[in-house]
Amino acid sequence: MKSSVFILIVLISGAFAGTIHGTVNFAIVEPYLDQAIGLENESLFASGEAENTLEFWAEYESYRIWQKSGQVLAGIILGLAMGSLFGIVFALSKNSLPGKTDISKSIILSGLMWLVLFIIPFLKYPANPPTVGETETVLLRTILYVSFMIISGIGFVVFYKISLKLKNNKKYFGIIGYIGLLIAAFVLMPENPDKITAPMNLVNEFRFVSILGVSSFWGSVGIILGLFWKKFNN
Amino acid sequence: MSRTEQVSVSKTSVSKIAILALAIVFAAGLFVVGFDQGHIFSLVYGEQAFIDLTIHELTHDMRHAAGFPCH
Repeated sequence: MKSSVFILIVLISGAFAGTIHGTVNFAIVEPYLDQAIGLENESLFASGEAENTLEFWAEYESYRIWQKSGQVLAGIILGLAMGSLFGIVFALSKNSLPGKTDISKSIILSGLMWLVLFIIPFLKYPANPPTVGETETVLLRTILYVSFMIISGIGFVVFYKISLKLKNNKKYFGIIGYIGLLIAAFVLMPENPDKITAPMNLVNEFRFVSILGVSSFWGSVGIILGLFWKKFNN
Repeated sequence: MSRTEQVSVSKTSVSKIAILALAIVFAAGLFVVGFDQGHIFSLVYGEQAFIDLTIHELTHDMRHAAGFPCH
């Protein structure tokens, strides 16, 4: 495949899937964000940090419109980014992936990356709505989250390569090794330092719709890139 | 009796430059959505960008929804 075609189909796949992700979020995540930010506002009024005035609501509406308008755009940007990673991994691993066709291989890989880069880190550091999370700890939380993604992602690749070199039942050592690494990471890495002060039903429902949104991305990027690859691969 | 083993080595069909270009898109896009706290616009607007948080606010809702830490 020509490099230009490869880059183009990867970017288009990522942008499409990102648009789907942003649209799904707009439909199902935004109501929870509004609810959480509403609680934040009530807290600001109660503590005296802000006053319940027309000026406050005018400013609030202004930045909420800006934030909401970015949902789909940010979905496209994130889609381009994660789609690019997906395209790179697919190109490098296609020949060793299970599956008979490019489409099935692509879908299997997207499922694996959804699990390794999103679901597993999510179990340790789940998504939180606004009102949960202090500004002072955002750098620490980012380092912890990204570190867990890297440990999970690179650990999977390393143990997968090890399992490919092993024969018969010894292949399971790769899976056991990866699970062992994840258990160690779960135990050794610190918890999210911020306490959850929002109602747990709001937090849990937000986390559920967050999973649905991200899953819509990984589900669609696998199908779209697989279809493009089948069409353009010579 | 001599034995011949056929070893098939499969290489990727895409160039390293294409991989590098996509790696740059990955890093830049992830930074914009997941981590920017005014850093990008600070290259033009200086310290004011860390107060305005223009890109951060634009990606704020997706940042929360995609599981990235936020304030």
